[in-house]
Amino acid sequence: MAGLQDIRRRIRSVKNTQQVTKAMKMISAVKLRKSQERLVALRPYAGKLLEVVRRVVGRIKGNPEIVPGPAAQAFLAPREETRIRVVLVASDKGLCGGFNANIFKAAQAFLAESTSQIIQMDLVGKRAADWARKRKLPAGRTYVNLNMTGFERAVMEISEEAAGQYRDGEIDALYVIYNYFNSPVAQTPTVFRLFPMEVERRAEERDVLEVAHLLEPGPNEVLETLLPRFVETELLRTLLESSASEHGARMAAMDKASNNAGDMIAKLTLTMNKIRQASITNQIIEIVSGANA
Amino acid sequence: MSQTIKLEVVTPERPVFSAEVAEVQFPTAARGYYGILPGHTPLMTPVGDGLLYYFQDGQRHWITVFGGFAEVGPERVTILARESETVEMIDLERAEASRQRALKLLKEAQTEQDMAKAQAKLDASLIRIQAAGHPSGHGF
Repeated sequence: MAGLQDIRRRIRSVKNTQQVTKAMKMISAVKLRKSQERLVALRPYAGKLLEVVRRVVGRIKGNPEIVPGPAAQAFLAPREETRIRVVLVASDKGLCGGFNANIFKAAQAFLAESTSQIIQMDLVGKRAADWARKRKLPAGRTYVNLNMTGFERAVMEISEEAAGQYRDGEIDALYVIYNYFNSPVAQTPTVFRLFPMEVERRAEERDVLEVAHLLEPGPNEVLETLLPRFVETELLRTLLESSASEHGARMAAMDKASNNAGDMIAKLTLTMNKIRQASITNQIIEIVSGANA
Repeated sequence: MSQTIKLEVVTPERPVFSAEVAEVQFPTAARGYYGILPGHTPLMTPVGDGLLYYFQDGQRHWITVFGGFAEVGPERVTILARESETVEMIDLERAEASRQRALKLLKEAQTEQDMAKAQAKLDASLIRIQAAGHPSGHGF
């Protein structure tokens, strides 16, 4: 029979673990809220920017007299993808359920399917870096332990470099693999072609009725300055989505762990009580039989 | 035609400002300041660094803008700024410290690139300091 002492010790240990998981859950909830706030704050900006890009591209498309510049080319006529750059976004720490496993599965599938050569792989998060190292992928920039300002720096560096590479013909596309934030408990691993971006011109009646916008200095120059902003914003959005997803996943995982610990404690307590009861019964029997004799 | 125009300033971090104003003046990247009155013809242009002025109840107010993009319509002006602050948001001490740092960097700069970076930093801090104090630069 497992000793009473052993079981008591187990219960204490499980209780400690439960405390840790509960604390982690609470921390994740706070971090999730922060990431989510940033994400929500970014949305009006990102939406507006996309609308403006659409209009400018629509104008260039709609007017054969305007010769599309290099930036416009990127939107209008994407090159065939032979060489691509990929940004893989995962987390720094584990204990977040299937968060990392799912994203790596998606990445693996993408790599297996893709016919183009991967020139460079940028890695956000320690887990992503480890994963890529194990597979000997051509690692580019690696970012670990990023905070919010770190995000902005990473976005700046990647987008600037990638834009340069695209211009020089070194890469034909920039992909991001990240966890899309559906809700605090649901994430979808997503492969997203950030650049070049297919921008559809929506047939808006408003556009026809309104006087066409003056584009100053010129449509191409305007697009030239819009493009990096647009890429930056989208990249920042994916990083924020991933960060919110990570905290959401961790929160869910830790909630489950706390529940499981609770179940375990209940089970152990029951066993402990049974043993205690048994030993009391034994002692009484001994006393009674002793008195009888 | 309405006598006011809706000014909206948004950055990636937050919506900074939104109100009906009588007039907007903002710095463009290439062509100096543009003044926008209600009923302006639609226009899109990159925004430069500097102070954006707006007029409300006959008073001139200002906020900082750093880069980005402006979309102007007859009834609204939308500024998609890379960074932007209202006067209340500016930390004068931080801006001053940033100015000192930029000056130091400018002295130590070795390459053209460092120089340009330090200069940009200095400009940004000066714009903030100007915004926090009384801007005497443009216009009036």
